[in-house]
Amino acid sequence: MRLHTKLTLFTVAATIAVLGLFVWQLPRLMQKIASDNTNKNLHQQREKVLKAIGQNGIGYYFQGDSAYGSYSMLKDEYISLEPYTETADLTKLQTAQRIIDGDTINYRILIDTFAVNHQAYLLEIGKKITSIQEDSVALQRATIGVLVVLTLIMAFIQLFYTRYLLQPLGRIIRTRLIKTKFPFREPHRPLVTSTYDFKYLDQSISQLMQQVNHAFEKEKEFTSNASHELMTPISIMQSKIENMMTDPELPANAIPKLEDTMRIMKRLKKIVNALLLISRIENEQYDRNDIVAVKPMIREVLEELQHRADEKALTVEESLTNETILYHVNKDLLFQLFYNLIHNAIRYNRPNGRITISDRHANGDYYLYIEDTGIGIEESQHERIFDRFKKNTAQREGFGLGLSIVKSIADYQRISITVDSEKERGSRFELHFSASHLAQ
Amino acid sequence: MRVLIVEDEQSLATEIEAALQKNHFLCETAHTAKEALDRTDTGSFDFILLDIGLPDKDGFWLLKEIRKDHADTAIIMLTARGAVEDRILGLDMGADDYLAKPFSLLELQSRMQAIIRRKFKLNDSTVELGAFTIHLKNRTIHHGASAITLSRKEFDLLNYLLLHKNRPLSRMQLSDHLWGDNADDEYDSNYIDVHIKNIRKKLNAYADTDWLETVRGIGYKIKTEA
Repeated sequence: MRLHTKLTLFTVAATIAVLGLFVWQLPRLMQKIASDNTNKNLHQQREKVLKAIGQNGIGYYFQGDSAYGSYSMLKDEYISLEPYTETADLTKLQTAQRIIDGDTINYRILIDTFAVNHQAYLLEIGKKITSIQEDSVALQRATIGVLVVLTLIMAFIQLFYTRYLLQPLGRIIRTRLIKTKFPFREPHRPLVTSTYDFKYLDQSISQLMQQVNHAFEKEKEFTSNASHELMTPISIMQSKIENMMTDPELPANAIPKLEDTMRIMKRLKKIVNALLLISRIENEQYDRNDIVAVKPMIREVLEELQHRADEKALTVEESLTNETILYHVNKDLLFQLFYNLIHNAIRYNRPNGRITISDRHANGDYYLYIEDTGIGIEESQHERIFDRFKKNTAQREGFGLGLSIVKSIADYQRISITVDSEKERGSRFELHFSASHLAQ
Repeated sequence: MRVLIVEDEQSLATEIEAALQKNHFLCETAHTAKEALDRTDTGSFDFILLDIGLPDKDGFWLLKEIRKDHADTAIIMLTARGAVEDRILGLDMGADDYLAKPFSLLELQSRMQAIIRRKFKLNDSTVELGAFTIHLKNRTIHHGASAITLSRKEFDLLNYLLLHKNRPLSRMQLSDHLWGDNADDEYDSNYIDVHIKNIRKKLNAYADTDWLETVRGIGYKIKTEA
């Protein structure tokens, strides 16, 4: 999962959780606030009542009656005054039922006693419970509404900011990691961001890429230079021996020795040539503008190798579709590629074995198979056969470069090559040409 | 024929010279571009073997300079670089042929022979070999009126031996020529025997082939009087 997705999910989940907890606890909280508020109100009202009594005198309210009572029209609140006969002072808050005008209603009631002119009175101020609850519910609704809106705004701000903040990371991944293919060619543009971490990451990646490039360039350069430098001495030695061999005074027993030396030199030449070829491919010294008909080219390779197949009495079965034309390839390199693969199929085959060359078109792509009944390759070696100088243990000779050349050529022409092989049963090489090879 | 060898590696120049002298070429050597120009200014050559990697000047530049005054001289480029563009560039600039180092002296001589044939319009020439007539251009071989079919490799083999007639060629030299860089050591030199056997079999049906000799311990040669 991408970092941005994770952060988004986390923000949303955390917001919902906190909001949920709050909404769940809200009624209780609101009730507490409402009831506290009511209590406070009742106390304030008592102060007002006592003040009014102080101003107007108690008689003003009683007007000769034994008690005073007043309530609002909807009986939301009531105040009652009556003489108090008990001796103990009484101040308390309670929730209780009162019957007013025949209606039994639940009230939150403040009960208090006070004395005027040595006479004790009992004061009750009540507030209807349901009206308190209504207040509380209204308050709850309003709070939830505001809260939801605020939370949404916060969540969006967070999401957008995270997105903005993580943009450089996305850019690093897109431009430096996903798109790039070794060797990294793209001229380096530093990332523009104010976040130190990303800047540092970008710089480090760029530095690493440059180092890898540099090492690769050095290796290429070395291979190229070394091969060139080796060619001249080989050239001289070869010429010297050739001339020596035409000397009529040369003793007869020297000839096989010279032949042997020539053979070894030829081997040296082949290695150097192979390295040069690889280095030239890696330096992109071949163009890729040729158009090649597969079947005739395979036929040509087979003709070139026919005598070797005959020597081993191999059956060569070629069943290629006639019309396949490849574009954007290099003819010489492709020939070399086919040659090396078919040559290997012959070289590592058993006497009276079989070589099958077939192809198929699938999903707009083209697949070519070269299959043999030879000694095969151990599964553990599959990865390594394309490496330079790693040779199959069963190999008698060879220079460990044939398949390496194959791989270089395939990579260079964007042909993907895979091997499927079983020890002692044979190998099958698959060349996968993409749709771009089939169109002009 | 006069040959100028322009090659900065002295010992290689010496070997080329030695090989060509045996074939009765008159050789001179130059180790730098300046020396080469001095020679070409004062004399004319049938062949110039030109190394591209000279210490003082670029070989391509020298090629152009020489071509200005020597339109008829055959120039063969020699290079250790061997890159395809080099070959194309060299041929475009008027070189007649191109050889990548390390090359075999035999191969150099074959190329020179081919140029000589081309220059002197010897393309249509036929060569008599015993009772057989070989048409070099058509790549056919006849006995009287009847044509004998040889495979491509068989004809190449015969042709190469003929080119270096009276000189024993080893199996390896022959396989090098037939299969080039793709030649395989043991493998293909054995196959030369098979080819020779086939050639003899095909030709013996018409006439004797004692001109095609096996040289013990070495290989084969074609022996002719001429």
